[in-house]
Amino acid sequence: MIEAGQSGECRVRVNIDGVLRTVVYGYPCSINVDPIEKKPLSHFLPGTGILSIATVGCNLHCKNCQNWEISQANPEEMPAIFYSREKLFWSPEDLVKLTKQAGCPSLAYTYTDPVVYYEYTYDTAKLAHERAIRNVLVTAAYINEEPWKRLLEYIDAANIDLKGITDKFYREVCSGTLKPVLNALVLAKAAGVLVEVTNLLIPTLNDKPEQIGELCRWIKANLGGETPLHFSRFFPRHKMLNLPPTSLKTLDVARDIATREGLNYVYIGNIASKEGQNTYCPDCKDLLIERSGYTIVANRLKDGTCPKCGKEIYGVWK
Amino acid sequence: MTRRKFIHRLLKAGPLILLGAASLAKRAVPRKFVRALKLQKYPGPLRPPHDILEQSKWSG
Repeated sequence: MIEAGQSGECRVRVNIDGVLRTVVYGYPCSINVDPIEKKPLSHFLPGTGILSIATVGCNLHCKNCQNWEISQANPEEMPAIFYSREKLFWSPEDLVKLTKQAGCPSLAYTYTDPVVYYEYTYDTAKLAHERAIRNVLVTAAYINEEPWKRLLEYIDAANIDLKGITDKFYREVCSGTLKPVLNALVLAKAAGVLVEVTNLLIPTLNDKPEQIGELCRWIKANLGGETPLHFSRFFPRHKMLNLPPTSLKTLDVARDIATREGLNYVYIGNIASKEGQNTYCPDCKDLLIERSGYTIVANRLKDGTCPKCGKEIYGVWK
Repeated sequence: MTRRKFIHRLLKAGPLILLGAASLAKRAVPRKFVRALKLQKYPGPLRPPHDILEQSKWSG
């Protein structure tokens, strides 16, 4: 319950005279064209650019947040980008036009969490969908079922952060709970959205082999073995400066566990890793997409299938 | 007041009591979906657009 004159956990939804207002609609704090590999998405239009937007605010408060300067900021303190001196705000129409002008086939709602600028995301995604632009969410998916289902109607792909596999982790590190996130993951997959999962491995907090194994088993059982999983390297940030960066060895072990548990596409992010960034055929093990950082070195897929054994590879390839 | 009068008054007020209880119950159940209205003016500072083709410094 947000009292009159107060804002919610996210800092951007305010009760003004009994009416819930979003103060960031039309006011992004970041607009950039990124490689889609940066989201990270490895099975969705590889090698393309994606117009990426965010406003300030988040409904979680992760102690390790990498984007805390914008996610945990008050809109009163963080500058938003204006459209022009005559017309300050960016309408959904403006964003869709900009996406086309930039030559991007897709638009991402990212950096902070699109569920807190929900109305802006929803209206823009709906319009983009009508204009044949694909929509991508990069989110922690800490959202109720009803608004999530409505938004998913216009979403093509999502990278969803599964930060840990215990409620304790969510409560202690993120000031949230696990159940809504698991529910949102299942709903996104059921809605036909291309789902990729990211798990940031934080030394001592969620990097034990048994925790990694449990997370992988949950993904396999509930989302399917074809769901791409990205293990991401932690760096000390925000309020978690006491822990060291995740070692490459831990990331490699995590990748081995995930593969053993039956996940077909496992990646390592936030660190240079030759094998951990490539896509291999789960059947014949042939190298399908070779990457170097965010660059596609070679894409050998043939109409979304392995050129050697013909296996159909999970993804949206064109 | 006699018991009969009291019961009579209670029966008369019955629909009003039910209406009140129903209204309270309706308010007590959280709505599943509330769309926030946009605020026309951003409460913080504004800055001019930059080169959008430059990759973002933010993660994600």
